[in-house]
Amino acid sequence: MGYPEGYLSERPAWTTGAGIQDALARRAIAARRYLGVFLLDAGALAILWILVSYVYAWYVLGTTAYTLVPWWAFAVGVVEAAAVWGSFGLSLGQRLLGRALGPTQGQEASSGARVRYFLLWHVLVLPGVGFLFDPPLHERVTGLGLRPRGTEGVAPAPWYRTSAGLFVAALLVVTCAAAVGVTVSWSALVRLFRQAGETVDFWRALVSPDTSILLDAGRDMIVTVFMAVLSTLFAVVVAVPLSFFAARNLMRGPLGRSVYTVLRGAMSIIRSIEPIIWAIIFLVWVTALRSAFAGILALWVHSIADLVKLYAERLEAIDQGPIEAITSSGAGRLSVLRYAIIPQIVNPYISFTLYRWDINIRMATVVGLVGGGGIGQRLINYIWGVQYRQAGTVMILIVILVWAIDYLSARLRAKLA
Amino acid sequence: MVWQPMANPYLVVEHLTKVYERGQVLALRDLSFAVEKGEFLVVIGLSGSGKSTLLRCINRLIEPTSGKIWLDGVDVTRLSQARMRRVRRRIGMIFQQFNLVDRSTAIGNVLTGRLGYLPGWRALLGWFPKEDREKALANLERVGLRDKAYVRVDQLSGGQRQRVGIARALMQDPEVLLADEPVSALDPATSHSIMQYLEQMNRHDGATVIASLHFLSLARRYGTRIIALKDGQLVFDGPPNAIDNAKFKEIYGEDAEEVEVR
Repeated sequence: MGYPEGYLSERPAWTTGAGIQDALARRAIAARRYLGVFLLDAGALAILWILVSYVYAWYVLGTTAYTLVPWWAFAVGVVEAAAVWGSFGLSLGQRLLGRALGPTQGQEASSGARVRYFLLWHVLVLPGVGFLFDPPLHERVTGLGLRPRGTEGVAPAPWYRTSAGLFVAALLVVTCAAAVGVTVSWSALVRLFRQAGETVDFWRALVSPDTSILLDAGRDMIVTVFMAVLSTLFAVVVAVPLSFFAARNLMRGPLGRSVYTVLRGAMSIIRSIEPIIWAIIFLVWVTALRSAFAGILALWVHSIADLVKLYAERLEAIDQGPIEAITSSGAGRLSVLRYAIIPQIVNPYISFTLYRWDINIRMATVVGLVGGGGIGQRLINYIWGVQYRQAGTVMILIVILVWAIDYLSARLRAKLA
Repeated sequence: MVWQPMANPYLVVEHLTKVYERGQVLALRDLSFAVEKGEFLVVIGLSGSGKSTLLRCINRLIEPTSGKIWLDGVDVTRLSQARMRRVRRRIGMIFQQFNLVDRSTAIGNVLTGRLGYLPGWRALLGWFPKEDREKALANLERVGLRDKAYVRVDQLSGGQRQRVGIARALMQDPEVLLADEPVSALDPATSHSIMQYLEQMNRHDGATVIASLHFLSLARRYGTRIIALKDGQLVFDGPPNAIDNAKFKEIYGEDAEEVEVR
């Protein structure tokens, strides 16, 4: 019980464990603030530089180049530009972190102080030496520091009068220029308009359905719906228990926090791989033949990751009040779960599940395109076989199915809200 | 403030201290007082003075940093979680924001007050004994909500919801009732009705009530004794009529004006 006494008695803070911990934490926070601003600025400037170089090289020189200068000149340039921006203006990083360079005392930073800060920045902030002190050494020497940006006083300047606003605008323009240069060529644009007439046969075939395949296509549609239902159901079975371990507010302590981090990390990796890629993986894995089973597995894996995220975020948003109340009545942990947490999440969970089922209907079609079974597989077979009338029929059926499921799921979810 | 030992204390708080956020915030500083059985103790003080923390330390919804809390001769700060649950059954609690499960019915909420007395498997199945169901209806009757028993609580008004909260606490047959600003979210007329239920539990059921309140007028009207907190320290402990204007300024600050709730 020695620890709070350190705060109640007159002992100096640095003689207690908690006091030392606090001192270290304050230094770490200061370092993170300054280096955070610097890294944001330098990163943004580096991206702008690379894009400008690329656009210049592409349109003017007709080659591909990323920096136009040696890499070391690029690095020095970016660091110096970030230092100048951070010392003399309100930089992007400062804006994003809600800070501004201002005097520790007084109202306005003089330009002399800013020059001193800029020079000392290279010695104290960049190598991190200044953060050994509290307050940081450069704040003491120059009288300037990253203060919370005051919102009172003058009205905020419009975006085109601020360096960060102009910077972001420039970044957008250059990004568009670079993207157009990479993806669009003049000859392709010309063809887009000149050769429109050559697709007439294709469009005509699409809108003249072949009714003889309706029965077979209908059977494949049912397979597609089954794929979506099965993958969603099995995903729910796995995702519901996992979601409790992926909710930050329920996973406390070092062990809990690491389980949370690993689980959420794994889920976002799985989710970032699209179902179509999972389908290819499972096609190789489970069978050499094309099958709906691989498609189900693909949708299942992706649905788990997606549902765990949706469920866990809902769990993180639950009202703590009922938990407190049920705990205070002497109930055990399981009772708290059953009576305070579950009633709050049942309806949202069902709603998310319906939403995911709706997605899975559409995804089941896409997964079919690579051989994952169902209506999608039939569609791609017709397209490769140049049977455009049949392909058109299938497309119409898919539109009807997706529209119907979309409507149904939206109606059900509205009821649950 | 010197703490005077009591002849027969029921709840004793000794040198209670609560520190938040690695020592940055001192919510309670070396707080000591005692309560006799059957008292209606009102805790007053500004927002952030530590009232809620104090109440939550008593049933250990918040773990105290140091100090002791003796309840009926047992130091609750030392109890294991399992034993603490058995103590909590006898401590009812009602809350400023009612803390009901909105999607559940009034009777569903009231029955949860009985969870501490139910074996775990029955609690999980929601299999409450017949006596408990009858008791729940009787308690809803007592707070005048018998006809709302099967209405979802998010359909009820603020005062009705707090009465559901009271019925839930009644299910525990509480020896101690903790009330954390029970009327702060309610209008003055409803406030008195809620306070009268608390008074009734205190007088007729013999529950020791510890209630935190914002308004001094309510504290004077219902409390048998008042303690005042300021920045986590005890600045007053005495009968309601001992708070004069000077004392009031000390508790609430120089600029404060007393507001009457009628």
